[in-house]
Amino acid sequence: MKATFRGGVHPAHGSKRPTQALATRDFVSDTVQIVMNMNIGAPSKPCVKKGDHVKVGQVIGEPVGFLGLPVHASVSGEVVAVDAIPYLTGDMVQSVTIKNDFQDEWEELHPLGNVEKVDPAQIIPAIKAAGICGMGGASFPTHVKLTIAPGKKCEYVLANGAECETHITCDDRLMQENATRVVDGLRAVMRALNVSQGIIGIEDNKPAAIAAMQKACQGRHGVRVQVMKTKYPQGGEKQLIKVLTGREVPSGGLPIDCGCVVVNVGTCAAIADAIIDGKPVIDRICTVTGAVRSPANLRLRIGTITEDIIGECGGYSTDPGKIFFGGAMTGMCLPNDQLPMAKSTNGIVVFTKEEAVSAEESPCIRCSKCVDACPIGLNPYDMKIFADAEKWDVCKKKHVMDCMLCGACAFICPARRWLTPSFKIAKQKIAEQAKKEAAAK
Amino acid sequence: MSEKKPNVGKVFLNGIITENPTFRLVLGTCPTLAVTTSAINGLGMGAAATFVLLGSNIVISALRKIIPDKVRIPAFIVVICMFVTIIQLVMQAYLPSLYESLGIFLPLIVVNCIILGRAEAFASKNPVIASAFDGLGMGIGFTLALTLIGCIRELLGNGSVFGINLLGAGYQPMLLMILPAGGFLVFGLLLGIINALTNRKKGDAK
Amino acid sequence: MSLILSSAPHVRSKANTQRLMLNVIIALLPSLAAGIYYFGWRAALVVGVSVASAVAAEFIWQKLSRQKVRVYDLSAVVTGLLLGLIVPPSAPWWMMIIGSFFAIMVVKQLFGGIGDNFLNPALAARALLLASWPALMTSGYNIGKFADATSSATPLLAGASYMDLLLGNVTGAIGETCKIAILLGFIWLLVTRTIRFEIPAAILGTAALLGWALGYDPLTTVLSGGLLFGAVFMATDYVTTPMRWEARALYAVGVGIIVVLIRKFGSYPEGVTYAILLMNIAGPLFDRIPMHRIYGYTKAKKEGK
Repeated sequence: MKATFRGGVHPAHGSKRPTQALATRDFVSDTVQIVMNMNIGAPSKPCVKKGDHVKVGQVIGEPVGFLGLPVHASVSGEVVAVDAIPYLTGDMVQSVTIKNDFQDEWEELHPLGNVEKVDPAQIIPAIKAAGICGMGGASFPTHVKLTIAPGKKCEYVLANGAECETHITCDDRLMQENATRVVDGLRAVMRALNVSQGIIGIEDNKPAAIAAMQKACQGRHGVRVQVMKTKYPQGGEKQLIKVLTGREVPSGGLPIDCGCVVVNVGTCAAIADAIIDGKPVIDRICTVTGAVRSPANLRLRIGTITEDIIGECGGYSTDPGKIFFGGAMTGMCLPNDQLPMAKSTNGIVVFTKEEAVSAEESPCIRCSKCVDACPIGLNPYDMKIFADAEKWDVCKKKHVMDCMLCGACAFICPARRWLTPSFKIAKQKIAEQAKKEAAAK
Repeated sequence: MSEKKPNVGKVFLNGIITENPTFRLVLGTCPTLAVTTSAINGLGMGAAATFVLLGSNIVISALRKIIPDKVRIPAFIVVICMFVTIIQLVMQAYLPSLYESLGIFLPLIVVNCIILGRAEAFASKNPVIASAFDGLGMGIGFTLALTLIGCIRELLGNGSVFGINLLGAGYQPMLLMILPAGGFLVFGLLLGIINALTNRKKGDAK
Repeated sequence: MSLILSSAPHVRSKANTQRLMLNVIIALLPSLAAGIYYFGWRAALVVGVSVASAVAAEFIWQKLSRQKVRVYDLSAVVTGLLLGLIVPPSAPWWMMIIGSFFAIMVVKQLFGGIGDNFLNPALAARALLLASWPALMTSGYNIGKFADATSSATPLLAGASYMDLLLGNVTGAIGETCKIAILLGFIWLLVTRTIRFEIPAAILGTAALLGWALGYDPLTTVLSGGLLFGAVFMATDYVTTPMRWEARALYAVGVGIIVVLIRKFGSYPEGVTYAILLMNIAGPLFDRIPMHRIYGYTKAKKEGK
């Protein structure tokens, strides 16, 4: 039986997904703009200045703080600007713009060799040096995730190949085209953490990826593929753990609290690249789809401008109404197409003007579809009432902090209520309040 | 304690409109719901309560400086009882049919919260004349409310008002209206309408 | 280029309020057709007046209270249709108007409009009509195909065959008699995922079991009176049912028990209306019983103990 969790929804785009996603091709643009806040934590500090010549893989941003990661140049060429731009959240972020000289001159790399033979102690520092953060969209620094707090033990490493989001097919292609690298990366993490069980979870709408991964797992120690039912949000960390191990992350805790570490398959491949080739994160696969002439999976250099990417895909097929990074369930909207993509950008989706129109909120009819859809088992109807009334403390009692903003409730709601956005605000407000209280003490 | 002299006219109107015991204070709902199955019952009940209110307010106000604070409630009750007994005997003698239909609710005026409430809230703190007008105003307000509810229920439930058939012989009486549920329904709807009107007035004033 | 900025999710499911209501309307059509077949065009008139006045009531109220007019969401049509189907075929037209206005204005709009009514509007209206004009609400079945029948109807006919009960060859309210038509509607609602099967299944199961325990024939219990119609169309009303499935099941079991208890011990021949209305009131309380497990709370509980 195919494993799954309770609740969840079936976004229409997911079911219409082509079984053979588009093959990946390379695209290198003549300018890249690399932002410094690609990972959760303090933004990195630019360490190059205007006029500098940089090589591919050269560090151009130094890590700041505990969650900091280095940022590398993704093309060789001249730094033409180091300035602050408003990024996705609207905050000003430092960025480095590099004009590509197309020489593809690489910084000297330091490969560690075969993942099965490398000294486990070297793995995590190598991951940090390569600037790897969660490639599935979360962008949490991977080396921090892999640094297990004392007293906790990791028993499972789970590779997340669910790719439950709508529109996105980059992980599907990665698993088909580069299955060995994914398994290598997973093995590297298992060795670094001294764990004997690694499971790769893949939804059953990706048969080619499942076959490729099963083949790649043959003869490898302790890794296997688990096929899961296609349902959103199967690739949510909490759902994946429940489905693959039967365990649950305790409320407010981390996966490691139930002995699990979850790594996206894209991150696995990046880890393998970092160890085998010594290559930092300078590119990634990104799905470009929606209202573009020829949708594609592109291997993009980090920092490629959205406009150039759309151009590579034949341009807009019609006047765009909305563009977002990521899938339609959790994606972040772009104010214009001049923004560059980042390490965690797994997809760029363009909506037409008609698709982009937000539905008008109508009165709730208490159909309880949101309650049935919630993968956590919350009552979105109830939480929404108190979120609208700005009763944040009541929201907290109704477990709004356990909400993972997957969007399943808002998707299914026949009255088109803005459930998820309300909970996002509630979570922010409660977090702010907690911070204030902590500061007051 | 200096007693501020209340405006008598204002006190009187207060009971009828601004602080109507039934619709604004929502006091004495038990007889309101139970006896208003016809207009005449509502009027009778209201009149009886008005008489008791007037009498008890005057007496309690007059005795307000003699009654010790600790035993004031029993003392009020004794005074109210006296007037209830009077009205009961008078009704039994001169209006036996009304007396029959009001039944247990007539003696229960003793514990009607309007009467005890006015004694406590107004009569025990104000001079005799003002208390008399307060009792009269409250009583008339109560009577009007009960009669109104009685009229509506009798009209819908029986096709008549004060026993006079208004809707003709073809009218199919709406039985629910003279059942207790109808009392709740009419009372609730009137409360709602009056609240809506008051709110609109307030909104205009702003 | 002007792009829309909005918070995720960027896609919504196809089902909206109007479509769900339309599904219910479609599901009710077989019952309406059966009603017209058995009782003639008088039945169509009753339902028509009921629907028209329900929509009118909703429109008038929303205009008067200066709300946005939402008649197009079809919920008033559903209410009118439901009310029309649970009254006798010769119900007078003025009674249907009073019933519809009561359902929409008093039960639904006064409590906040769609989604906020604490009682099922159609059933509350039926209760009002039954209490106000008991004679009109429990007679007048002998029209159409039953014009020659001499017996006055009781919804719990003794001696009717299963086949008669299934086909609706018994007297009763317009939409309640033909069980085949109701089942067709039920299947449509399930296929379109408009309702879930839990509530009807639990009601019918409970009623059959308890009926059997009290000496009724289980199948007759389920097929007679308005139980099937109530279980499929009334008890599954979104607004007045609990939200958690555990609470929904409890609610449905409660309806089943009360129906049979009223039939066995009550003075009314039929208790579905009151059973569902009673459980409507109790429903929200069931949601408060902490029966539902939230992800990530098992261990915390054990540690707490």
